[in-house]
Order: sequence, then structure tokens, then C-alpha cells
Amino acid sequence: MDIQSTQVLAQGIAHAAAFVGAGICMGVGSLGPGSGQGYTGGKACESIARAPEHSGLITRTMLIGQAVTESTGIYALVIALLLIFTT
Amino acid sequence: MLIQEEFVKVFLFMGAAISTGVASLSGGFAEGHIAAEATKSMMIQPKASDSILRSMLISQAVTETGAIFGLVISLLLIFGGFTHFGADWARAFSFLGAGLAMGLGCTGPNFGSGYSGAQAMKSIGRVPSQNGRITTNMLIGQALSQTSAIFALVVAFMLLYTVPSQTSVSSLNALILKSCAYLGAGLTIGLGTIGPGAGIGFVAGKANLMLSKYSKSQSLITRTMFLGAAVTESTSIYALVTAFLLIFIS
Repeated sequence: MDIQSTQVLAQGIAHAAAFVGAGICMGVGSLGPGSGQGYTGGKACESIARAPEHSGLITRTMLIGQAVTESTGIYALVIALLLIFTT
Repeated sequence: MLIQEEFVKVFLFMGAAISTGVASLSGGFAEGHIAAEATKSMMIQPKASDSILRSMLISQAVTETGAIFGLVISLLLIFGGFTHFGADWARAFSFLGAGLAMGLGCTGPNFGSGYSGAQAMKSIGRVPSQNGRITTNMLIGQALSQTSAIFALVVAFMLLYTVPSQTSVSSLNALILKSCAYLGAGLTIGLGTIGPGAGIGFVAGKANLMLSKYSKSQSLITRTMFLGAAVTESTSIYALVTAFLLIFIS
């Protein structure tokens, strides 16, 4: 193969690797926030079941906790988008 | 024996993906557990809601640092201009090793910080008046756990910035040796912080829980926590030393 087609092939492989990397990043990176937020929600349900008069407070705490947990998922999203669009 | 820029990019992207992906995995999991225990404590002690919320946010912020390390290394790998200097196979594997080091290296510390914070939330729920002491102890425990993540950050920076673009001896044997050494350094510190990070977190978590149950022996509990954490940290120092040996002496 001549230099030109090798160059094109190499660029294609680099691009493909960026896509695979984006997939790994977002895929693995959403395991954490997903399971964490789910566990938080489950505990919140349990707490509200045991003490329904404090449901407003419990719901607020759950949402704040889940929002902070979301931030790590957003890091993974940012890296995945950067890999797809800026490489 | 430089390789083409695009092949170097493959290693850079894989390293960046693993770094943020795996660090976010453990970070999200840990923060979720902290929030879950805080929610349950809210139910038990609704009057102490402000202090519980504050402690929860503080503990989640410290746990966040592990995920931020992973993000920083990812951004450095993608945008740090490493393709300008040229690279050979060994250098390319050092990029992958840096990503592995940071991604896997944040897993244990994040799990440990999460357990420490969750138990602290539980014990604040039992005795909200001890909030200040419990939060202080929790922060100490989380910081001790994150030191393993800082070891991993140091190794990742070493792999990124102290590895030459071309090894001095460019025979095939030397290249394979160096490539495996850099990859091994990343794996060493990456897997080597899982145990100590989670272990120190377990020590700190149990200490936090017992602070609420037996508030008379507080200084004794804190002292034992330090002792247990120091001994547990030793294996991560072994991993750090092994990683340095692999990078510099292979």
C-alpha cells in the first residue's frame, strides 16, 4: 500500500478508537451514578414509608444527594462528547 | 522507531476513556450511598436536617475529588498535545498505563470514602448533637482514604511526563520490555489502591459509627482509626514503589 492510503487508514483507525473510547467511557461511567442514585431513591422510599410526615424533607434531601451524584456521570459524558466531536 | 500519530491517538483515547469511565463508576456509587444514608438519617432526625445536609454535601465533595482526578487525566490525555512530540510503542503504552493508573486507582479510595461517609451519616442520625466531632472524624477518614488516589495521580503524572518519546535502545526486545513495564506500572498502582482505599474506608466507617454509640471513648477510637489506617496504607506504598521501579529501573 502506498503512503496515502496508509495515512487514510491510520486516520480511520484513530477515529474509530475515539468512538470505542467514548463508548467505554460513558458506558462504564454511568454504572456508578446509576446504581448510587438508585440506592438513594430506594432508601428514600423506605424512609418515607416509615415516616410519611417528613416526606417533603426526605424528598428534598434525596434530590440534592442525587444531583451531586450526577456530577460524576456528567464528567463521563463530557469526556465522551469530547472524544466524539473534537478528535 | 516512531509510530504514526494516529496510532498514538488510539492509545491516548483508550487511556482517557478508562480514566474517566472507571473513576466515575466508583465516584457515583460512593456518593449515592452517602446520600442514601443521609436520607435515612433525615427520617430519623428531621430537626437536624440542616446539619445533616451540610455533612452530606461535605462528604460528597471529598469523594468527588477521586472522580475529578480521573477527569483531569482524561483532559490531559486528549488535549495535552502529546502527539506533537512523536512517540514509539513504549511511549504509547505509557499513555494507556496512565489512564489505567488513574481510572482503576480511584476505585478503592472512592468506595472507602463512600463507606466512611455513609457510616458517618448513620451515626449523625443517631446522635445529631455530636455532628461536629463526627464530621471531623469522617473528613479525616476520607482524606486518609484519598491518599491512595493521590499516589495513583503521582504515578499517572510520572507516566505522562517523565517517559522519553523514544527509548534509547530501539531494538524490538527493548520496546516490548518497556511497553509492558509502563503498562504494568499503571496496572500495579491501579489495582494496588483498591485494597487499601476500601480498607481504610472500612476502618474509618466503623470508627464513625462507633463514635455515636460510645461517645465516651472518642480519642481512643480516633487513635485506633489512625493506627489501623496507617498499617493498611502500607500495601499501597508497596504498589507505589513497584510502579516506580517498573517505570525507572526496567
